[in-house]
Amino acid sequence: MTFLFAGILGIYMAGMALPLCFPGRPRIQNAFAHGLAAAAGLVGIGLGLAGLFAPEPWTASAESTIPFLTFAIRIDPLASSFVLIISLAGLAVSLYALGYVREFYGRIPVGVLGSLYNGFLLSMTLVIVADNGFFFLIVWELMSLLSYFLVVTEHEKPEVRYAGLFYLIMTHVGTAFILVVFLIFFQQAGSFSFEAFRNPQHVLPEGMRTLAFLAALIGFGAKAGIVPLHVWLPYAHPAAPSHISALMSGVMIKTAIYALIRVYFDFFGGQFPWWWGFTVLIVGAVSALLGVMYALMERDLKSLLAFSSVENIGIILLGIGAGMTFQTYGLKEFAALGLVAALYHTVNHAMFKALLFLGAGSLLYATHTRNMEEYGGLLRRMPWTGLFFLIGAVSISALPPTSGFVGEWLVFQTLFLSFHVPTVLLKLILPVAAAMLALTGVLALACFAKAFGISFLALPRSSHARHAEEVPWSMRIGMGMLAAICLLLGLLPMVVVPMLDRVGTSFTGVSITDKVVALNGWALAPVNVEFSSLSSPAIALGLIGLSVLGLLLVAVFGGSAKARYYKTWGCGLNLSPRTEYTATGFVQPIKRVFSTIYQPTVKLETEFLEESHYFSKRRLFETHIEPVFQKYLYDPIVTFFSAMADRLRVIQAGSLHLYLTYIFLTLVALLLMAV
Amino acid sequence: MSLLTPHVGSQLVDLGSAVLLLICFAIVAQRRLSACVDLFALQSVFLAATAALVAFLTGIHHIYAAALLTLIIKAIVIPRILRKVIERLNVTRELVMNVNVPAGLLICGGLVMLAFFITQPIIPLGFLLTRDSLAIALAIVLIGFFTMIARKKAVTQVIGFLVMENGVFLGAAAAAYGMPLIVELGVFFDVLVGALIIGIYTHRLQDAFDSVDTGRLTTLKE
Repeated sequence: MTFLFAGILGIYMAGMALPLCFPGRPRIQNAFAHGLAAAAGLVGIGLGLAGLFAPEPWTASAESTIPFLTFAIRIDPLASSFVLIISLAGLAVSLYALGYVREFYGRIPVGVLGSLYNGFLLSMTLVIVADNGFFFLIVWELMSLLSYFLVVTEHEKPEVRYAGLFYLIMTHVGTAFILVVFLIFFQQAGSFSFEAFRNPQHVLPEGMRTLAFLAALIGFGAKAGIVPLHVWLPYAHPAAPSHISALMSGVMIKTAIYALIRVYFDFFGGQFPWWWGFTVLIVGAVSALLGVMYALMERDLKSLLAFSSVENIGIILLGIGAGMTFQTYGLKEFAALGLVAALYHTVNHAMFKALLFLGAGSLLYATHTRNMEEYGGLLRRMPWTGLFFLIGAVSISALPPTSGFVGEWLVFQTLFLSFHVPTVLLKLILPVAAAMLALTGVLALACFAKAFGISFLALPRSSHARHAEEVPWSMRIGMGMLAAICLLLGLLPMVVVPMLDRVGTSFTGVSITDKVVALNGWALAPVNVEFSSLSSPAIALGLIGLSVLGLLLVAVFGGSAKARYYKTWGCGLNLSPRTEYTATGFVQPIKRVFSTIYQPTVKLETEFLEESHYFSKRRLFETHIEPVFQKYLYDPIVTFFSAMADRLRVIQAGSLHLYLTYIFLTLVALLLMAV
Repeated sequence: MSLLTPHVGSQLVDLGSAVLLLICFAIVAQRRLSACVDLFALQSVFLAATAALVAFLTGIHHIYAAALLTLIIKAIVIPRILRKVIERLNVTRELVMNVNVPAGLLICGGLVMLAFFITQPIIPLGFLLTRDSLAIALAIVLIGFFTMIARKKAVTQVIGFLVMENGVFLGAAAAAYGMPLIVELGVFFDVLVGALIIGIYTHRLQDAFDSVDTGRLTTLKE
């Protein structure tokens, strides 16, 4: 373990330093930066697996000269599982980046980009393994700052700078709340070490516990992107280069999930009042539903994926919230199931969201636009990208036999077990949450049917799409690897669940592997096999069997199977790209149904011919949906602070001498006071 | 060797410090920029000498290194940079000041009294030979700061900043026999980089406003 950890540290550091040593030679910089990052990913997979199966958590620490700061590392099953996620995604994304970054040669200093990229991966890994509050905050801040710099890679565009600023502010507000959490624990424990935090002897007073719970939810929630703190995601994720978006959306926001589990289940030792789990559950359900609803309306493919991350964070929080609720009532097996479900979905989302962002990056690479209305017909031109994107889309829509299906199935089963909870209110709320999750799932399916259909099917809608070409090999390998993982996670849950169960066991004290993996490993059951069970290999076999059956039926009854190439029948009209469904048109019915939430505004202007009102010269159609959170929550805050700043301007005369005089007078006054 | 008893040594350090303070007053009174730079260089030479004396008296070797660095960086390198800036900008004297020279000198006198007044309760608590210099060091810091406020040209503000730094260095050497060498090295590096940055900033100021008067910066507001 020591060797593996030192290896990761060393390789990432080399990856930060070496690309800077070859200024002006982007090919070498690229090879070093992403080659080393991929190598570190491989080592990280080893570390994650070793940590997961180690009997005891591995620890190491180095003292520093700064008071309360110890560079302490602890790799327990929870940390291992997240190291594994980061490393898997890091490996695939690094391979992809080898090809993708070529687009930036000559435009952007690739060495700096690669160096920051390695630093970002390293800081995320350190956030996961840190075992000291002070150290955690340092690497957490480092992660936020490095990702900010990566977001503003293309800083010559004003919208990118705006997105970066927005992200920077949101993440720092979050950090302020996280600081509150750690200070509360510090005050009680007298040390920043996590060991002291989780020591049950230092029980926080009731009020402080509540404060710490809420501050953690807000602080880490801002990073994870829970509603209503999600507004930065659709700005920042699309603004970054696509391989960075994949890491941010797939992995970075998961560090907040890690921290939430760490604080709630580890520091608080799983002792919650009932309303904590309830709150997390509600936040999760609302995030899931609103996230997917806004995703549905997006035309920018990367913004769509960013909103979909909000949805998936919501689903993960549903699992955690259900786990917390069961923990309150001492239903440890169900609590462990909730954790396993949440972690399963975390792994899944990291994989398929990274895959989808890489797919979006490939489309951007090939067409130079993010607007879905300009795609179309790309499946024929980019078959590999199309196949991988389809696998990602199927997985995120939770269709068998892919990973998303298993993850969401587990979350559903956890929610259905609510009838074991003695409180009537929760008995009612949990099924409602399950219903909201069901609605979310359906809307996600619609959303990705749109994303895939509009982008890859039918005829090209623009010359960009007409001239698209398949992306280079390294990009295809990165995507292919993630697509394969998505399929494997869906087919082999009986291998994955026991691994994640080690995490659940470390917090709840009970192992549920024997009960969840039923029928000699061929099926999953939520603790009780009579309640329900799922066998994904059987489903996969069934699907294959059905498609073979379909082919057989065609062969027997279908007549001639000779291919005939002819134009699609269009009721006598000539079909052209203009007659296709647009991304906006596709979701129009849903926009109408949920108009209370979207509050759409439509503007239609028609300019008629002077001679006759029966003929129009030009038509202008505009439609917008109301950005509710921005308008009613953020704008008032911004206005308030701007007004305050205006008042403060009186003492900010802009004169250097005046400022120096302020400092001088303060200094003299303080010195006099000291006497 | 027998001449240099601890008592005499301490008197010598006080003398050196007093010369440094005197040079501060000269800087406040001096209108010509190049003369200000020369005075600063002179002050740095005396500072290096005082530091070397402290090193000799106490036998702490790393203060020699700090003294040598002071000599190289503050007495040679930075004055050279500043002279180049002045030469290029073609600004020789400061005609308008925020506070005129007589009033400035009076205020500086007041600052020296303030420094002695503040350090009075502290100095008897010390047990080092050189503890009396602390008051002078504080006075130098305050006067340096005052120079930054009183003058308008960016170059003299740099000099004020450097004088402050000299005061801090003297205070560290006198009151605590110097900081750890690594800290000293860091500070020297900071000062050098600071001087370079301000040199560049002065050029930019000249380009933008046709003047190195930092008072013009108020126009940047809105």
